[in-house]
Amino acid sequence: MPKFTRRRLLAGAAPLVAAPMLGKLAFDGNADAASRTLQTHENDHAAHGHAAMIGESAPAVGGPNDLDALLYPPPALTHEPGRVREYTLRATDREIEIAPGVFFPAWTYNGTVPGPVIRATEDDLLRVHFVNAGSHPHTIHFHGIHPANMDGVFEVVAPGDELTYEFPARPAGMHLYHCHATPLKKHIHKGLYGAFIIDPREPRPPAHELVMVMNGYDTDGDGGNNFYTVNGRSFYYARYPIRVRRSETVRLYLANLTEFDLVNSMHLHGDFFRHQPTGTGDHWEYTDTVMQCQGQRGVIEIDFANTGLFMFHAHQSEFAELGWMGFFDVVD
Amino acid sequence: MEANALRRGELSWRLWALVPVLLLALAVGGYVASGASLAGMIGTNPPQADEFDVRRVEFKPGEIRIRVTNPQQDDLTIASVTVDDAIVPFTLDGPGTLGRLRSSTIVVPFDWVADDPMVVGVTSSTGIETAEEIPAAVETPGVTAAAFLGYGIIGLLVGVLPVALGLLWLPSLRRVEQRWLTAFMALTAGLLAFLGVEALFEAFEFQAVVPGAFGGPGLVLLGLAASFLTMTFISGRFSGASGGALGGAALALLVAIGIGLHNFGEGLAIGTSFAFGQLTLGSFLIVGFMVHNVTEGLGIAAPAADGGVSLSKARLAALVAIAGVPTILGAWLGGFVANDVLAALFFGAAAGAAFEVVAEVVRYVGRRDPAGLRSAYAVGGFLSGIAIMYATGLLAG
Repeated sequence: MPKFTRRRLLAGAAPLVAAPMLGKLAFDGNADAASRTLQTHENDHAAHGHAAMIGESAPAVGGPNDLDALLYPPPALTHEPGRVREYTLRATDREIEIAPGVFFPAWTYNGTVPGPVIRATEDDLLRVHFVNAGSHPHTIHFHGIHPANMDGVFEVVAPGDELTYEFPARPAGMHLYHCHATPLKKHIHKGLYGAFIIDPREPRPPAHELVMVMNGYDTDGDGGNNFYTVNGRSFYYARYPIRVRRSETVRLYLANLTEFDLVNSMHLHGDFFRHQPTGTGDHWEYTDTVMQCQGQRGVIEIDFANTGLFMFHAHQSEFAELGWMGFFDVVD
Repeated sequence: MEANALRRGELSWRLWALVPVLLLALAVGGYVASGASLAGMIGTNPPQADEFDVRRVEFKPGEIRIRVTNPQQDDLTIASVTVDDAIVPFTLDGPGTLGRLRSSTIVVPFDWVADDPMVVGVTSSTGIETAEEIPAAVETPGVTAAAFLGYGIIGLLVGVLPVALGLLWLPSLRRVEQRWLTAFMALTAGLLAFLGVEALFEAFEFQAVVPGAFGGPGLVLLGLAASFLTMTFISGRFSGASGGALGGAALALLVAIGIGLHNFGEGLAIGTSFAFGQLTLGSFLIVGFMVHNVTEGLGIAAPAADGGVSLSKARLAALVAIAGVPTILGAWLGGFVANDVLAALFFGAAAGAAFEVVAEVVRYVGRRDPAGLRSAYAVGGFLSGIAIMYATGLLAG
């Protein structure tokens, strides 16, 4: 756009000589604009802003059940020491659509960002077959307790190679897994991560269970995220609110894998919830907002008091407005 | 027979001139049709930048309008739009996928805050975000009668009025001695040289922000050469009419045209800058421009005084109009439609016109007062012209 460069006037220079006609012209123009802006604010507020971004008006990719495999975890199994739980993860390079018309050249586990939910019960023997079908060396680094050679740090899997990780699942809690090849920042932000749930020996009470992995995408490579999501697509749960029943406890497994930003968070509208950090121990917090740095996670239990649409979003407004926002549709 | 053979020879000689063109067309066609990838033989092409060229950002009540153009070879798709780092709903007035040099207007319903700085971002399908910083959100003037009149008055104040005032020096100039007149003519040349250099740099500044596809520095040269040569042609016609030498009145007209072109660019800059909230249009600025431009009137008066013929009031008014009215036209164009490409072109033209007129003035003085060309009057006058422009330019910032 043209910029005025030739005779730059220092901003705020006081008028030396009065030129009433022009002065009036300029000032009237400003006042007019200001009053019109105010009017706009009063009249059209409902038409603007993101409070209105729900359903059709929310810019999200795909159909209503596209992310079900990531949102709804596999069922918890009862405690049975020594039982083998097998999973196969394939690292692939894949371009994914993260917002309508915006494509991100991702590195994925099994084709999605985040990768699939891995679930085991405490004392299960976890056997994860890892196939690197991508174009760069990768690993899987699980959070939890395991031998040093199962840690996904030293045993880097070259493209075309495979490795099987095997260790007993413990401790019970909400964990996560991610690639630990270097450069770490690149391998995580490209999409190699997912949720890893270990159920306790004593099963948790029945509930409607959900998984949300918070993330971001730096699509223009400037070291800052351009889009934020849960489960990989911006505004997806604003486009398709998550239907839950008021009579049923909602148990939400929440993890933060956002790169570049120091923290991410989740805030629930219209209600409070119990929050168990890392899904371990006896400490439960009663709140409506939790904050997690990268790698932090927790278990949230909500007993909705009311029916209706309740928003949830990062309480970093910027993240919310760049895609990390959705709704619960609470029905009887 | 012989004449016919001669004509045939002539014809085939002319047809021969087409051969390189045809061969070039064949070679180009062959290369394109073969789909040969030279890059593949050497290495890999880098990815396209996928950056938009943001041409205009307009603020209307409850709405932001962003005009974008695709400056690159490959298609460019508008996928997402942000205002201050927030994804916003938008509609398109134009195609969503832009071919090379195609444009579209993004319409964002938005409750913007007046006078606040703002960043609008347009993200391509590959996720590359082009951000445009707005120093202050100010409602973009619509094409209303009031805005039209407002820009008109600005043009009148900074363009027409000062030139007219400067021309009032004409009777006094008529009474000065030849060597002093030479000094004033040199002063005119100095003024114009200053304006030319300034316009040239301005042109390059606009050109620098224009994407490569719209022309590099050659764009400025195009404007400069076009106006320089047009002015040369006009002055040739004038001198032809008056028996080979350019008269004082004709030179005054040339100076007026040169200054007019410059003032057009000046109006353009004021108009666009104000329209986009980049310029505080205070009385200080207006007064600065007025003082600065009075000297332009003097520039026209000096050759007119030397003409030996008295100019009618109508002709004087015409000179004022030629030099001053373009400011109004420029302000209108800048305020309502201008963009960088036009600005670079027009400032180039202003520079070309100014330099041509400097050459005419020097030639004129050389003819009228051969001894005076290297006198202290001429040298001092020229330097004074530059110094005066510099000093009064400070007034306008």
